[in-house]
Amino acid sequence: MKGFSIWHAFLLIGLLGLVMLFYQGLWGDPTALPPVIIEEAAAEVVAPDLYSGDEFRLSEHLGKVVVLNFWASWCLECKLEHKFLLAIQKRYENRPDFVMYGVNYQDKPHLAKAYLEEYGNNFAHVVDMKGKISIDYGVYGVPETFVIDKKGIIRHKQIGPILGDVYSNLLENVIDPLLNEPGLTS
Amino acid sequence: MKKSAVFFFATFLFLSFGETFLFAQSDPVPPALVMDDDELQTQLKAVSKTLRCAVCQSESVWESNATLAIQMRDIVRERLLAGETPDEIRAYFVSRYGDYIVFKPRFRGLNLLLWGGPFILLVFGGVILLRNLRNWTRPQPETTQASQQALLEPIDEKQRRRLEQELR
Repeated sequence: MKGFSIWHAFLLIGLLGLVMLFYQGLWGDPTALPPVIIEEAAAEVVAPDLYSGDEFRLSEHLGKVVVLNFWASWCLECKLEHKFLLAIQKRYENRPDFVMYGVNYQDKPHLAKAYLEEYGNNFAHVVDMKGKISIDYGVYGVPETFVIDKKGIIRHKQIGPILGDVYSNLLENVIDPLLNEPGLTS
Repeated sequence: MKKSAVFFFATFLFLSFGETFLFAQSDPVPPALVMDDDELQTQLKAVSKTLRCAVCQSESVWESNATLAIQMRDIVRERLLAGETPDEIRAYFVSRYGDYIVFKPRFRGLNLLLWGGPFILLVFGGVILLRNLRNWTRPQPETTQASQQALLEPIDEKQRRRLEQELR
């Protein structure tokens, strides 16, 4: 190993590091976004109900598993996932410790109502008037869904539609276990 | 003639100063507030330019006309008016969207590699270059002797004859 100095060793380590970095970049998911707000306290949501205009406050649902689904009438993927959302609500509608809300995003109320009339509706929806709620939740686009546990901590963030395996995973590995977790009073 | 001159003068006075007298009361914006607005706009621009529009390709919140960018600008404005500093506002957006949302990565964690990497590589490359340059310029005893020997060696017969022929 004549001429192999500590500098060559450093160079080799550096090159290996770069190769690993590039390798990870090649095989990683370029659309993956950092799960920034997972395991953090959910920001308060104060918004008017789409139909009644009554004020909705997320903090009033502390002690329940809350599903917040951001959607818009102009969003094609929202239409694809809509029946799955209806199925989620139907599955848990008798549980007093579960609630699901739709958050209408960058939309017009009359278009949102027409959309719900066309595709069906069995849960409540609020309006994100100025985009404050969506920015508080770091929403890039719709659909995005957040699952908040009984202690008010965001435990899951789904970017994109809830379909097929994503739907099964959401029910079996996220919502069901969270419903089985003890509430605030336990 | 005299009357018309007075009328003309009165009209001139009204057009020149009348607006000031008439509308001074109806425009309550003091100059200081206008200055504050300018300052707010300057700060809004400065902060928004450092934030990435989350749904655009390499556009800042200031430059983009996407709805999300407009809403982000509104939030920046609200927070500036509420007395938050630019750093606090940036920290809020980072807490929501992660480091991706700021153009200038924060000086912490893995970002240190981004900040320090080029300098480390520069120093490292410089040291290697210096060492190699030293090796190249250092006199090599064996090589010197060999080259000197080669210089001293006489040309062979074939080369000598060719030279003589060409010099003839």
